[in-house]
Amino acid sequence: MKRGAGLLARRVLLPVVGVACVLAVWEATLLVYRLPPIVLPSPWSVATTLVELVGTAAFWRDVGVSLYEFIAGYAVGVVLGVAVGMLIGESRYFRLAATPVIESLRFIVPFAWIPLTILWFGTSVTGKILLVAYAVFFVMVVSTARAMAQVEPTLSRVGTMLGMGPWRLAWKVHLRAAAPTLASAARAAAAIGWIAVVAAEYIGASAGLGLMITNAATSLTTSVVIAGMIVIGLVGAGVSAAIGALSRAWLDYR
Amino acid sequence: MSSDAGMVPRPGALAASGAVAPCASDAVDGSRKAPTSGHGGELVIDRVFHRYTSAGRQTDVLHDVTFRIAAGEVACVVGPSGCGKSTLLGLAAGLLRPSSGTLRWDGAPVAIGRNRHLGMAFQQPGLFPWMSVRQNVAIGLRTRGHNRRDARRIADEFLDTVGLADFKDAYPSHLSGGMAQRVGIARALALRPRLLLLDEPFAAVDAFTRLKLQQEFKALLKLNRPTVLFVTHDVPEAIALGDVIVVMSQRPATVQQIIRVAREDRDRASPAYARKLAETLECLGVTSDLGNE
Repeated sequence: MKRGAGLLARRVLLPVVGVACVLAVWEATLLVYRLPPIVLPSPWSVATTLVELVGTAAFWRDVGVSLYEFIAGYAVGVVLGVAVGMLIGESRYFRLAATPVIESLRFIVPFAWIPLTILWFGTSVTGKILLVAYAVFFVMVVSTARAMAQVEPTLSRVGTMLGMGPWRLAWKVHLRAAAPTLASAARAAAAIGWIAVVAAEYIGASAGLGLMITNAATSLTTSVVIAGMIVIGLVGAGVSAAIGALSRAWLDYR
Repeated sequence: MSSDAGMVPRPGALAASGAVAPCASDAVDGSRKAPTSGHGGELVIDRVFHRYTSAGRQTDVLHDVTFRIAAGEVACVVGPSGCGKSTLLGLAAGLLRPSSGTLRWDGAPVAIGRNRHLGMAFQQPGLFPWMSVRQNVAIGLRTRGHNRRDARRIADEFLDTVGLADFKDAYPSHLSGGMAQRVGIARALALRPRLLLLDEPFAAVDAFTRLKLQQEFKALLKLNRPTVLFVTHDVPEAIALGDVIVVMSQRPATVQQIIRVAREDRDRASPAYARKLAETLECLGVTSDLGNE
């Protein structure tokens, strides 16, 4: 009983304490500087705004558009990134040809591409999907190539001895051995991809959470801005947790 | 005494004559000794040199290694540690390409890459950590075309043989070093290879289990008589299991001597065994009268 209570305290009470501290600082700031709600609304008014938002169809459409852009771009980026990373890991010729391209492009951060994507694709979802795919691709390429290179050489010899050809070896042994590294890279890539979606929507979009927030900011409904930011954080955390759970379900063999 | 293969000619002599002297003399031996009803083939290692290049530095590992294992024979390779025994196995497996010289299996050069006649147990077992013990043994059978049911049945059979019946569903991270090594042996044996390569397969196994495994291993070999190249640093083990003992010198290693083991040499209570042990140890530079003035 006592032990159960301790667990409850740790699992529930401490996170509540953490959130409460943030809210207390927020409220204290309002009190000390006497800020008007247009500059910083109270936590309470943000909470009511959030509840109101959740009740509207427009809000869910925005969430849906952002999530769609993210998921489509993420899927493309992960698949292409892992595929190219595998080729780099398996083929010396491919590695020599691809490395200069990848090393120079990967430091052109996704945000640097936003003006061009708007120029090319306007405010459509296509531009956002490509941007997410781009961001995710480079994270996955680099960590896949590295993980493939670090596979225990004995495992390759064992695979060959057992009769595996080069492609089966790459697929069944190298990729599988690299999978735990890839899973954590995929989680990091999700965070970067989600950030890219929101950033792109801030700059130019016809729908999505980023647009909702910039619209609210221009009409000075600051509580909507902050509520939207909270939604972005929650969705991002949810996506990351989902990918973590998926990779654990697939990779836990110990 | 039946160590009739004798000293191997030095590299110069070999190069000059162009003949593979020890192979020729062994061939006579092989035909006399091993009436191979089994499916093993002949492995010929002919003037093989091997050199590693790492970080710009070259290391000669094998220097003119020549010997031959007749079909169905067990050759035990002994020698100082680091002398290139594992390299020799890698070459015989086609996992490495020799710097010069040739290796021939059944008369044809050993292909680099996969070789269907091959089963090998590595010094580090190299089990796939994401697979259960049973899957680790079955995967090679699947790769070589057995269906799922057969692969599973054969895997179970060989895991029973190496005493791991209760660990079929365990994962490699839960096994001790010796147990993992036994899985590696089962994986190699389950392929029922014509050429079996074993790199100190019993090194991490405790002394008692080791003796038991040696016995079972011998019984298993009788079933289909593969050709075996067995690296060990345990001379009694080499005498117990080998038809011939290949004594390697220090690096860069060459074949120092080939010692033939007769049936009577394997009786550990016999003077013949003691003589064979002394003879082999002496080749390795160890005197046999330690603590016996």
